[in-house]
Amino acid sequence: MPRWAMVIDLDKCTGCQACVIACKAENNIPFVSPEQAAMGRTISWMEIIPIVEGEYPRVRVRYIPRPCMQCDNPPCTKVCPVYATFKNEEGLVAQIYPRCIGCRYCTAACPYTVKYFNWYAPQWPAEMRACLNPDVSTRPKGVVEKCTFCHHRLQKAKEKARAEQRELREGDYVPACVQSCPAGAMFFGDLDDPMSTVAQLARSARAFRLLDDLGTEPKVIYLSEGEWYGPRKRA
Amino acid sequence: MDETTLKIERRDFLKLLAGAASGMMLSGYAFNKLAPVSQAYTDWPERIERWIPSVCLQCSGGCGLMARVVDGNVVKLEGNPLHPVNRGRLCPLGHAGLQLVYNPDRIKMPMKRVGRKGSTQWVSISWDEAIDLLAERLGELRERGQPHSLIVFDGRPTGLMGALWERFCHAFGTPNHLSADEPDGMRIAHRLMQGLDQLFGYDLENANYILSFGCQLLDGWRSPVQLARTYGYLRQERPGPRAKFVQIERRLSPTAARSDEWIPIRPGTEGALALGIAYVLIREELYDRQFVEQHTFGFDDWTDARGQRHKGFRRLVLETYRPENVSAITGVPVDTLIRIAKQFASTRPAVAIGSAEATLHSNGAFNALAIHALNALVGNIDLPGGVLIGEEIPFKRWPPIKSDAVAQEGRRRPRLDRAEADAPWLDALPLEALGERILSGTPYEVQAVFLYESNPVFSTPATARFAEALEHVPLVVSFASFMDESTAYADLILPDHTYLEKWQDGPAPPLSGVPTLGVTQPVIQPLYETKHTGDVILALARRMGGTLADAFPWADFKEVLMFSVRGCYEVRYGRVFSEPFEGAFVRQLQERGWWIPQFSSFEAFWKDLVKKGGWSGLFHEYGKWGHIFQTPSRKFEFYSQRLKAELEARAKRRGQPLEALLEELNITARGDDVFLPHYEPAQFAGDESKYPFHLNPFHVLVLNSGSSANLPWMQEIVGLHVHVKWDSWLEIHPETAQKLGIADGDWVWVESPYGKVRVRAKLYPGTMPEVVNIPIGLGHTASGRWASGRGVNPYALIGPAADRLGGLPARYATRVKISKA
Repeated sequence: MPRWAMVIDLDKCTGCQACVIACKAENNIPFVSPEQAAMGRTISWMEIIPIVEGEYPRVRVRYIPRPCMQCDNPPCTKVCPVYATFKNEEGLVAQIYPRCIGCRYCTAACPYTVKYFNWYAPQWPAEMRACLNPDVSTRPKGVVEKCTFCHHRLQKAKEKARAEQRELREGDYVPACVQSCPAGAMFFGDLDDPMSTVAQLARSARAFRLLDDLGTEPKVIYLSEGEWYGPRKRA
Repeated sequence: MDETTLKIERRDFLKLLAGAASGMMLSGYAFNKLAPVSQAYTDWPERIERWIPSVCLQCSGGCGLMARVVDGNVVKLEGNPLHPVNRGRLCPLGHAGLQLVYNPDRIKMPMKRVGRKGSTQWVSISWDEAIDLLAERLGELRERGQPHSLIVFDGRPTGLMGALWERFCHAFGTPNHLSADEPDGMRIAHRLMQGLDQLFGYDLENANYILSFGCQLLDGWRSPVQLARTYGYLRQERPGPRAKFVQIERRLSPTAARSDEWIPIRPGTEGALALGIAYVLIREELYDRQFVEQHTFGFDDWTDARGQRHKGFRRLVLETYRPENVSAITGVPVDTLIRIAKQFASTRPAVAIGSAEATLHSNGAFNALAIHALNALVGNIDLPGGVLIGEEIPFKRWPPIKSDAVAQEGRRRPRLDRAEADAPWLDALPLEALGERILSGTPYEVQAVFLYESNPVFSTPATARFAEALEHVPLVVSFASFMDESTAYADLILPDHTYLEKWQDGPAPPLSGVPTLGVTQPVIQPLYETKHTGDVILALARRMGGTLADAFPWADFKEVLMFSVRGCYEVRYGRVFSEPFEGAFVRQLQERGWWIPQFSSFEAFWKDLVKKGGWSGLFHEYGKWGHIFQTPSRKFEFYSQRLKAELEARAKRRGQPLEALLEELNITARGDDVFLPHYEPAQFAGDESKYPFHLNPFHVLVLNSGSSANLPWMQEIVGLHVHVKWDSWLEIHPETAQKLGIADGDWVWVESPYGKVRVRAKLYPGTMPEVVNIPIGLGHTASGRWASGRGVNPYALIGPAADRLGGLPARYATRVKISKA
């Protein structure tokens, strides 16, 4: 069984946010009004976290694209009282909307703040409903949602491979953000396949994981030269 | 369960198998045919999914698209992997094309004004009626012998639509096909030093040192995806030593943040720094002697035909631009300057890139000359990793126009933006000077204005008075898709399709030096009663008849496109887009002079062109010196003979000595210095004692100069590094803010001699202490529900100042004061 993982090369990332919008388009993520946005209710499964450090003129700005880490040891699933969020057999942290009761325990438990609550039913002007992705359901009011690693693309890739009577190949299944990245800073594949690009990059001396010391075992691996927070650890 | 739903036709079953095999149909289809579980299931439409290649026209970057169309609706835009500009990648604006097409604020049909001007009271009319009306009004202009009083403001003057407008103006009889595109002063340097009035490309992928003078390489410059791809490639993919990227800029922009070194510089002094670098190169003999000797003019002192001695660039620089002098002007420390200069000289190929930011100043043209001179000093013109002078796309030439007497008479009139004999400046006036001209009726009354992809009321300073100007013009026609600030003054609105509903050419901007043409094709049927502006031009010409109709032998714009791209089929180089390895192979053959025809007929070529998304010239031919240097000396001119000739001619026409003209133009240099790259002191609107800060309006990739402000996705990500959404902000240095008692998020007044705006302050350490920054693109008063009434437009603060030679608006040369609101 593959272990799907993402590698993000921070040395290449330009902070353009193409991944953010590719994700919104792919996953039918509704935009919220400016008033709601001011209350922190913007939904962004993929979000770029900017870090501005230092003082003029020695200022450093870093961008960290942050999808769901799809932790191997996810804190969010442990607190879900209704098994709406769980780690599936392929290592993806799934979110079953009809089961979700909206308690937001998982939202609080996630150290990466990847979980978003639907404060009301998503709203689009009638015209814009025409461009919703038919492969992805829209979410109802009162449930929590998050990045799925574009799980629906995996389903399609599997169906296609099955129809062509072959195994899934590297590149068959790629989330929308990775596909779109203009700088080519994102990679996706099977971490358990030692020959895959992600596995090779994960062995790089530049590799690290966010908040690694929490023991969440995230499957999003970052690459960066120079020092980072905390010790480097191999994925 | 009724019988009909259970019955599976053999054909349907086969279709189903085919669908499963190719993965092209969605599961809804299968359920529809196989399992009539409930009425809801049987009502599911047969989902037909198609992927259609096209080209994104959100900006002028020219990225190839693959549009995913399900049941006639486009549901996703992705990059076309075959397109050499973006290779399957796409920027946030590209993705947000969906919110443009399906935007509820689109103009849905042609409309005619009924209320007073600017009252935004309209009635919808039919297209026939609209074109009749327009033909009648334009016919009157011609009858009155005033065809020249029609002005076309064209926001996309490159490519076939620009050519079609030009042709229309030619046949109609007006010289006024005017660009409403954002100017870039580097063009003036290219004209004066190389005799080429065009923007050049830069082969950044092969450069080892990139010295950017404010160029927003990663914030929307020219082709965002191509630049981001290049950046990623230079950082981690390219083998060998890593390229160094230095950003000289008055703000720590995202581009500066991603550079190896950010050098803050006082606004408007970029030219001085370039000359300081030139000093080190010359003084230490680090310049490319061979190139300078063989291919440049005016480096050393020289004697002209009349035996008169002239000063060379070397002497000027060594006498005037010692690092300590330059440091005092620019605020860049001497050691930084020397270090950068030595790196620039020793890390070949090194390339210096200018920008609108460095040239839209009172001294813009001279800054441009100084920056471009660096490329000649290191001999990096027309070399891999250097400045590339691109070839045009080989469109098939259109048949010549036979214009009638009225048109010929009209074309003889001066252009609205040209200086008359008695005005001092050299260049055509920038867009912002034209509002005033329209109002004052100089050099003639303007009777009609066409607005194509341009919104001058929003995108020029308020001091340009474009709103009043449009109110003043008897006939304003807008081809906009949205009710923007300028369209509000239109008498007639003839809405264009969005780019996902139409045929168009999508040329790649000059960057790689290789001519590349993408084809924009309709991926969905037009949603509303809109019409391709190209078709409108053709219909209008037909309706007006005579030589005007004869000039347009095409039925619709698609025919124009097909006629023109035949040129790409007929030239014996290039190829329809293909896989990178195939393209590399064919390029190698073609570089060695081999040519293998790919298609046996134009029809086959066209079919493949549309299927793959475009055509590329594949390679850049180096060493065409005769083409690259079209100057009097046929060399790169440090000493611009063209500038000298133009200035002297103007002085002569005005019957004054050159000295007096320079005085009037406020040029401080005298003698030979005038025609050499030199630093003219930057001038600013607003007295420093009263207005202590420089205002730096800056571009943000996702706002696209304001045209994407009505896309909610863009509003959600606009101010990433300062955590602002759906609003403008003022970037201010933390210590400056503290002195003024301003905390992060406070409302402040920003006031210039020309206006004031209220905006929230954000403390950003990437701000220079004497500069404040406001993004360009928000502060709409119209343009849709999400754009209107959000944030501020920094153009409300900017004055009408222009470059000394006249061609460039001084958009970055205004001072402001800040006070807590």
